[in-house]
Amino acid sequence: MADRATLSVRGLMVAPGASPVTQTIAPGEIVGLAGLDGHGQERFLKVLAGLEQPAGGGVTIDAPTGARAVTSFRKAVASGIAYLPRDRRATGIFPTQSVLDNFAVSTLSRDRRFGLLSFAARRRRYKAYREKLSIVAPRPDASITTLSGGNQQKVLLARALALEPAVLLLNDPTRGVDVATRHVLYDVFRELAADGMALVILSSEIEEILLLCHRVLVFREQQVAAEITGEDMKSDTVIAAMFGRAA
Amino acid sequence: MSGFRRMAQRWRGAGFATVLLVILIAVNLLLNPTRFHPSAWGALIGLAAPLIGAALASAPVILAGRGGIDISVGPLMGFVNAIVIQLLFLKLGMSSPLVIVPAALLIGAIVGAANGFLATIVRIQPIVATLGTYLILTGMTLTILPAPIGPAPGWLKAMAGPWSAVPLALIFLFWWLVRQTPYYDQLMAVGSDDRAAYTAGVPVTKVRFIAYVMTGILAACAGLMLTALIGSADPNIGPTYTLIAIAAVALGGVSLAGGRGGLAGAAIGAIDIFLLQSVLTAFNVSTYVLQIAYGVILVVAVIMTALQERLSGRKG
Amino acid sequence: MHQTWFQSTNARVAGAFAVAAGLQIVGTLLIPGYSAPFAIRALLVIASLLAVASIGQTLVVILGGIDLSIPFIIGFANVVAAQLYGGGWNFGLVCVIVGVLAMLIGALNGLISRGLDIHPLIVTLGGGMIVQGAVLLWTGGFPSGSAPQAVSAFVSIGGSVGPLPVPALVPCVAVLTLLVALVLARTPYGRRLYALGSNPGAAPLALIDPVRMWMVTYAASAFFAAAAGVLLLGFTGSAYGDVGQPYLFQTIAAVVVGGAALVGGRGNYFGTIAGVLVLTEINTLLIGLGFRPSTVQAALGLVIVLLVSLYGRERHVSATI
Repeated sequence: MADRATLSVRGLMVAPGASPVTQTIAPGEIVGLAGLDGHGQERFLKVLAGLEQPAGGGVTIDAPTGARAVTSFRKAVASGIAYLPRDRRATGIFPTQSVLDNFAVSTLSRDRRFGLLSFAARRRRYKAYREKLSIVAPRPDASITTLSGGNQQKVLLARALALEPAVLLLNDPTRGVDVATRHVLYDVFRELAADGMALVILSSEIEEILLLCHRVLVFREQQVAAEITGEDMKSDTVIAAMFGRAA
Repeated sequence: MSGFRRMAQRWRGAGFATVLLVILIAVNLLLNPTRFHPSAWGALIGLAAPLIGAALASAPVILAGRGGIDISVGPLMGFVNAIVIQLLFLKLGMSSPLVIVPAALLIGAIVGAANGFLATIVRIQPIVATLGTYLILTGMTLTILPAPIGPAPGWLKAMAGPWSAVPLALIFLFWWLVRQTPYYDQLMAVGSDDRAAYTAGVPVTKVRFIAYVMTGILAACAGLMLTALIGSADPNIGPTYTLIAIAAVALGGVSLAGGRGGLAGAAIGAIDIFLLQSVLTAFNVSTYVLQIAYGVILVVAVIMTALQERLSGRKG
Repeated sequence: MHQTWFQSTNARVAGAFAVAAGLQIVGTLLIPGYSAPFAIRALLVIASLLAVASIGQTLVVILGGIDLSIPFIIGFANVVAAQLYGGGWNFGLVCVIVGVLAMLIGALNGLISRGLDIHPLIVTLGGGMIVQGAVLLWTGGFPSGSAPQAVSAFVSIGGSVGPLPVPALVPCVAVLTLLVALVLARTPYGRRLYALGSNPGAAPLALIDPVRMWMVTYAASAFFAAAAGVLLLGFTGSAYGDVGQPYLFQTIAAVVVGGAALVGGRGNYFGTIAGVLVLTEINTLLIGLGFRPSTVQAALGLVIVLLVSLYGRERHVSATI
């Protein structure tokens, strides 16, 4: 695990004219993002990842080694942020490639020995995550498309974790994943947070957010309509905020 | 008003090609008033007809999407040219248009169906399938006709010049009719998103197959126009049309990814390329400079089309 | 979705090698002297030249692109190398100049295709025509000059290297094959190439820079085309601008027969080598049987279609939903 780091969001405007968001996401925290589709929560998450530019304000990551601004995806990854995309097929897996290839693609240089990739090193690294995430893949050199949706998602999560991030951004991580696998993923997320990682989870399922997160930011019309913590974290409060009604 | 807007919509993709067309016509008129005198327009149409025909032929499969392309259009033109002159006219002595035209179109339909069978039913990637047909047709043409031979039947030779507007007009009439049918909407739907089209109940394979047959038939028309223009049979000319026709289609705003553009754009792209050649010739520079300029303008024009599409896409 | 062994890339490559071996046996049975040492040497040299020219096409196809500028770059390198060497330049320097120029052209092809999202078919065709025109302009259409003796000896069918009865080109191409395979399988570049070809949409999130990859890969393609052009200069003895033309479709055919899919993310260079051998065998066999080149060409087309319909079929649209 890399150094712990805090994600600071200062005066961030998701869209022009929206009221700015200021947030600090600390190590060990699990923050949920909720909202009706297209109300800015996904854009917010992508701005955190450096994938989209905000209409104002900015994101920095504060590690013991110093603070760095997140202005592009590459910089975000270099400063310890990992991002798990929403659409597994369009922006996640490489369908003609093996499970191992899919796992290692973001962290290729770590398997390099004397200039060439060591398959043994790659297999060793994969094995650690396979156990941690209990990935069911009979043959790691088989095509990723031979795995179930849930196991494909676990491989993608392993790919993100292999970057050893301090902050993990998850875009609807249990979409199209079976119930058993969901619970495995929940346990993993909790463990990661307990080890000091900061997690931001966007989910279209309120139950999931209530189950996992320490607090939730509810988006409405491109701004944070409510920040809900502790006792107030109930589904009617969240739904009321999503629809812009008083609870 | 709404009709006008629809028209503008339809031409937007070919926007840059249309601007280029106007500029090229003006430049040609200035540089070469005699060659572009209205009385010479008939001859010009005849000269441009095979390229326009080849571009029109290339369009349907490209519109059908998912890598749809037919690089055998040029060789098919050459094959039709060789069969019509060498076999039908010189060997069998048949010169009647009532024999030659249906025979040519039938050959086109058969080759198109073969391509369609390979690309949509056997499901070989279209560029590979038609590369196979390309080699087969080129080889067969050279076997039937090892060296150029002539002449062509009188009526066919007379089709060069102003009369070559007739087959082109017929092609456009045919395409206009196609546009009135549900098939056209299915073709464009398959071209822009075949999965969505399939889910919506469109017979994707059948739609694509028909596109290949149409391409084959149109390529046979282009082959007849080529025969009219050269008034003889030449085994080496046909294949040269393939790549330039695809370039013309791309220039005319037909997306090589499918689902966007139409035959009008393809024709404009082809006319652009023809006029470009004649502008460059008018400068009386060496053919080498001509080729460089030709390549540069082709690349620049395609870049401009892409940029313009990107801009209009952002606005829309 | 389950893949049977028959559909796997390894099976395709093995199949293509088997076809090549089968053709060699058929040739030996039908034509006296088909397996004579000289005939085999000639076959290996011709196949080696095509193999060098096809390296770039293999890389570009794995990336999901296509390179039509290869024949023009071959002609460019062929003529420019002869012209400069004939003008008294040092041949090593000539090779460096030709190689660098070719890579610049290739990088530009990649930059325009990916950076502006224009189909590489059009970009590489236009770029190729410009290059060809420039070469013709420079030489006035009549290139002069020749290759140094060393290059001719390197590719000569009658040549030998140490105890091997083949010119140095053949073992060099064998080593090059291993190197290319190593780069594809065991370097970050190789793995990124497959990933980008497999799913361009996912690549940026996996820290792959698509524009850079396209520039590097098209530059490599142009470099190997230029190498083939210089080798062909040694093979034919004199410069000829159109020397590369047969390689336009042959490189694509070799890659495809070797089991790569033109949609990207699949294939490897061993497959291309198998494809190269199949094409060279068919050519030699049919010409040996007395067929005319035109018939040979038609047969080649037929074989491509047959082989690819055996193992190169795409999935039905319903299987992609």
